[in-house]
Amino acid sequence: MAATAAPEVRPGVDREEETDSRTDLEPGYLVICWNDPVNLMDYVTHVFQVVFGWKRQKAERHMLQVHNQGKSVLTRESLEKAEFYVHQLQRYTLHATMERDQG
Amino acid sequence: MKLIRPRRKLLVFEISRREKDLLFEILRLYPLVPPAHQRLSKTAATGRLNEHQRLLEEALAAQRAENRKHILALLDEPGRFETAPNGLLLKISRSEADWLLQVLNDVRVGSWITLGAPDTEAGEKIPLNEETAPHVRSMEIAGAFESVLLDALTGRQTS
Repeated sequence: MAATAAPEVRPGVDREEETDSRTDLEPGYLVICWNDPVNLMDYVTHVFQVVFGWKRQKAERHMLQVHNQGKSVLTRESLEKAEFYVHQLQRYTLHATMERDQG
Repeated sequence: MKLIRPRRKLLVFEISRREKDLLFEILRLYPLVPPAHQRLSKTAATGRLNEHQRLLEEALAAQRAENRKHILALLDEPGRFETAPNGLLLKISRSEADWLLQVLNDVRVGSWITLGAPDTEAGEKIPLNEETAPHVRSMEIAGAFESVLLDALTGRQTS
């Protein structure tokens, strides 16, 4: 998990950690779902609805993007939140990862 | 297995004794997906993310152990199955149905991994022989139960 900035300011390594923490809090991570031939399309839609609280229409749009284009960027989050969502999606055995947003 | 009473919180399915046996047979296979199969990132492999990867695997393994403990206990609960004219009635809540979906999908995906994760969408065929047949069977049966549960959760009827 991302460490929060310590209230005590010390030189050297701690300052570097502080920079990392700030980066971690920025929404610089993409949560991506990848296509595979085994997960049922309705199942993928259902999981998106449960994990993100999306309406069926939006969940289906992302599911079809996964199916037709090989992947779909589901959300852009901080390190901690991205990790949370990837974990949730993987609990349902979807092929999901988080990647640094290079854009 | 067929949904006969969709209620706000409780789903009631008609299920034959043969289907019940099949459901239990599939659930007993859980878990099949190895925790290391799930990767946190495709590209990043820094020390920090490796640590996060290890934590993710631990969390998934712990969750699966917990699921494993509860899975058959849940279905063995008194009143879960009731005798009906055409077999049995299975009563599960919507949250239990969602949880069952997770478990069934683990078996489906795990069977597929055991078969070598064939890319059937790209035309790759699964060779059917004595060795592969049980895994193909588990994959298909798990998928069939998933479809019934998904139809029930989304309000579609199945026959």
